[in-house]
Amino acid sequence: MSGGLVGLPLDRVDGPVKVTGAARYPSDVSLPGQAHAALVRSTVGAGRISRIDTSAALAAPGVLAVITHENAPELADAPPTALGPPPRFPLADDRIVHFGQHIAVVVAGTPQRAAEATRLVEVEYERVEPVLGLDNPSAAVERNAWGVEVDHGDAEGALATAEVVHDETFTTAAETNNPLGLFATVAQWRDGGLVVHDSTQWPMMARRTLAGVFGLAERDVRVLVPYLGGGFGAGLRTWAHTILAALAARVVDRPVKLVLTRPQMFTSVGHRAESRQRLRIGATADGRLLAIDHDSVAALGAEEANFSAIVMGTAHAYDCANVATHDRQVRLNIPNPGFLRAPGHAEANFAVESALDELAHRLRVDPVELRLRNHADAHPRSGLPWSSNALRECYRVGAERFGWYDRDPEPRSTRDGDRLVGYGMAGVTFGWYAAACEATLSITTAGTAVLRSAATDVGTGTYTVSAQLTAELLGLGVDQVRVEIGDSDLPPAPQSGGSGLAAALSGAVQAAADNLVRAFLDLVADDGESPLRGRGPDEVGAADGGLHLLADPGTGEKYADVLARHGLDVLTAHGEVEFTEAARTSGLAAAGAFAAHFVEVHVDEDLGVLRVARVVSVVDGGRILNAKTARSQVVGGVVMGIGMALFEDTVFDADTGRVANATFGDYLVPVNADVPDIDVTFVGGPDRFSPTGVKGIGEVGLVGVAAAVANAVHHATGRRIRDLPITIDKML
Amino acid sequence: MSGFEYVRADDLDSAVALVSGDPGAAYLAGGTTQLDLVLKDRVVHPSRLVDIGRLPLRGTTLDGDRLRVGALTAMEELAADPVLAARLPFVREALLAGASTQLRNMATIGGNLLQRTRCRYFRDPDVPACNKRAPGSGCAAVTGAARMHAILGASANCVALHASDLCVPLTALDAQVHVQGVDGRRVVPLTRFYVLPGDRPDVENVLAHGEVVTHVDLPLLPAGTASGYLKVRDRASYEFALTSAAAALLVVDGTVERARVALGGVGTVPWRAVEAEAVLVGAPASVETFRAAAEAAIHDPFTVPGTEFKVELAKRTVVRVLSTVSGVRS
Repeated sequence: MSGGLVGLPLDRVDGPVKVTGAARYPSDVSLPGQAHAALVRSTVGAGRISRIDTSAALAAPGVLAVITHENAPELADAPPTALGPPPRFPLADDRIVHFGQHIAVVVAGTPQRAAEATRLVEVEYERVEPVLGLDNPSAAVERNAWGVEVDHGDAEGALATAEVVHDETFTTAAETNNPLGLFATVAQWRDGGLVVHDSTQWPMMARRTLAGVFGLAERDVRVLVPYLGGGFGAGLRTWAHTILAALAARVVDRPVKLVLTRPQMFTSVGHRAESRQRLRIGATADGRLLAIDHDSVAALGAEEANFSAIVMGTAHAYDCANVATHDRQVRLNIPNPGFLRAPGHAEANFAVESALDELAHRLRVDPVELRLRNHADAHPRSGLPWSSNALRECYRVGAERFGWYDRDPEPRSTRDGDRLVGYGMAGVTFGWYAAACEATLSITTAGTAVLRSAATDVGTGTYTVSAQLTAELLGLGVDQVRVEIGDSDLPPAPQSGGSGLAAALSGAVQAAADNLVRAFLDLVADDGESPLRGRGPDEVGAADGGLHLLADPGTGEKYADVLARHGLDVLTAHGEVEFTEAARTSGLAAAGAFAAHFVEVHVDEDLGVLRVARVVSVVDGGRILNAKTARSQVVGGVVMGIGMALFEDTVFDADTGRVANATFGDYLVPVNADVPDIDVTFVGGPDRFSPTGVKGIGEVGLVGVAAAVANAVHHATGRRIRDLPITIDKML
Repeated sequence: MSGFEYVRADDLDSAVALVSGDPGAAYLAGGTTQLDLVLKDRVVHPSRLVDIGRLPLRGTTLDGDRLRVGALTAMEELAADPVLAARLPFVREALLAGASTQLRNMATIGGNLLQRTRCRYFRDPDVPACNKRAPGSGCAAVTGAARMHAILGASANCVALHASDLCVPLTALDAQVHVQGVDGRRVVPLTRFYVLPGDRPDVENVLAHGEVVTHVDLPLLPAGTASGYLKVRDRASYEFALTSAAAALLVVDGTVERARVALGGVGTVPWRAVEAEAVLVGAPASVETFRAAAEAAIHDPFTVPGTEFKVELAKRTVVRVLSTVSGVRS
């Protein structure tokens, strides 16, 4: 094996096409003869449309069609996905379930004309009082909708007898996915089939949904997304606008392009649901956890589903015998929430890691020490050994790099000039996830490889890390590997979500590479001219564009020579990986990433101004495929964590459910000036359950940051803020 | 299609004539507010936009003890002016606290004075109740998400904030606004340029339709005067103020001889705090004096749930800026 490529901090292989504008994102796609769609949105929060008059819009210049519930062709229900039932189709009937609901699609020759004509659609409503607010007594409540509640041991009993009981309520704000790339769809019907360029993180799911809705065979639908301008989970469902664009294309019999506006992003592609969590912790006087009871309420759309159970990870984080979790979702007239990076995990971690800090303070135990005392040496529920777990190392290395033990634990003890200084930390145990994945690898007579899979690169580095892995496995240079992804016609791949794609795709690539080496050896098995004839896969290694004997590295031949001699243009092998069976038989608890975040904040107490001055993040991400893209993943997560901690808050008007801050001027995300030095270190080694040793790191960087910030605020000021985001008004 | 006609003006007189003669016409300068309102938010519907962006109303001239600033001078350009930096440092600070470099390169000084409120109830046509946009329709903002709204000069009719940073020190300075209309030119002090919303929030300033700001005169601070601008916001950059304050102080032998104070982030118009100035002048430069001035500055606030915190925050902002400017911290 040539080796040595995996893990290197290589620049992104897709960097040049991105910075030169050659990379085609969905909103860049332009097809000959395409028309443009724009959406009309409901201006009431609940009720029904009593009258909709599209005549003026239809008469406007350039308008080709206006589609409403009155004339929309009937569509089949979209099939459920692994993440639950599909979003509600808004033109199915005259009912309004949230402010901003799509109620009509205007199609015109130019985007400007389509947008202008949306203003000419006249709508009258029979308005009913929308159901808003987590505490609304008339809201329907779904209990344990996803069957994830845990009831181990006797939490109530243990709480009743524990020496120390901590009982607090935490709230987290609704947050909207704000990828810079506005979600876009370009739909084209061709020969009875449908081709859709779409901002999706999951082409296979989008294909299945569109096929189901339009009554097509899956092979007649193709979903393309070679590049995606971020998603953060918004692209894990096929939302109504994608279906509406495809529908519009069918109605006008032309390709149709639809690009959501920024305000529409706030109502069309999900968001992190607002949550309120009551957390009760029982412990011994020396800080050993006896009981955890974690109860959460989160917002949900009026008629939809959202597979985002807040408390899902609580039972797996620490060694605690008695754990009960309760998951409730409250049906409100708001745009349906969805997935936003570390859905559920991030919210629950804020409560748990804040509460542990409170416990540490109360018991006068160092917060790191408290976590070490409750460290789960084995998986806390199954008792199985972790497939990997370097969480202790995360704490140790993080504390060292940060200078944690210089901290005077007394709140308000540290100043920098006029500013109060606080240190806070939090731990993270993230869940394992990876789904079955397939890929093919081909080698051509040019001696170069092509990797094909229906995976996506949401901007995180999938192109780069899979090129690196392929190159290493096949003994090629990274520039000799072409990666083709983002196309549902390619071998099936799971979503880029749940921090699961890197492990899944890497597994498939490794299997395909193994199979490809076998295919070459099969080809030369009886080839008298091949120095590799009769050799098995265990006897050969890959380097310098070919295979060689491990026992005699000077003996071997190049792929291109084998192909040429056998008159082949290309040799292709398929690979797939599947995790369910392995999970059952491995005897291991499959571990996701672990992390510890250490944060320093500076507080201008008089003015309530809070700034994050320093972050040290240490992550056990298993085997790291590319030190640079991995670091970027964690840094990006930390930045979003700062956003969650300090700024992000999607505000719904109390009387209508309108999003009151649906612009980048009003919805605050961190800017460069809010982001300090972020020191990222990876610890641990290859995971024993993942075939390639890879664990996902897409979300772990975000989780824990909010609690670490809140804990640092407490250390700085003595004030405990349990309500995110921590804004100036809460600090006064 | 509703649309609008775009006209590029060749000279100021014809631009003024064009807009004055057409009730549906409006000026276009840097475009950073106007184009948002017309094209993105779709809450302003001019039938004609007269682009004055290339008229020769750009740049600064020093004229005795005042700095004359052309209305089309870009914010970033003014911030780089050496006279401004030396003699009006708090104006420079306010300029650089606003927007982003990219926006400041486009946004003009005249446009900054005339910027419309950022109130999302004004800027969203899906909200029917907005007295500023549709007189008499009510105000959805008073019961809405409120933290960015005004507490001074506000009422149940309108809580829309004037969000300018620049106008805060300019108001403290008594900047003079030069205006041209079809009937000639006039000069309006900035302190009398804006109109409190009262029961007509749609009327924001004293300009007649078609009148245009040509330049603004900034009186230079007297020698020995110290000045500063403090902006308080959640985000470290690129956010409008929750509260802000501009102050210029001349302190002689521990006594405040001259004082100018104005507030941002709290007023429906840039807010001159004359009551604070009255407390300060003649008083010892002390934190007690500053606190008394701050109490005087924020009187009769109109708050709604979500803006109450601004009352105390604004006072602390005043105290802090006075402390910083005077060097008296305790």
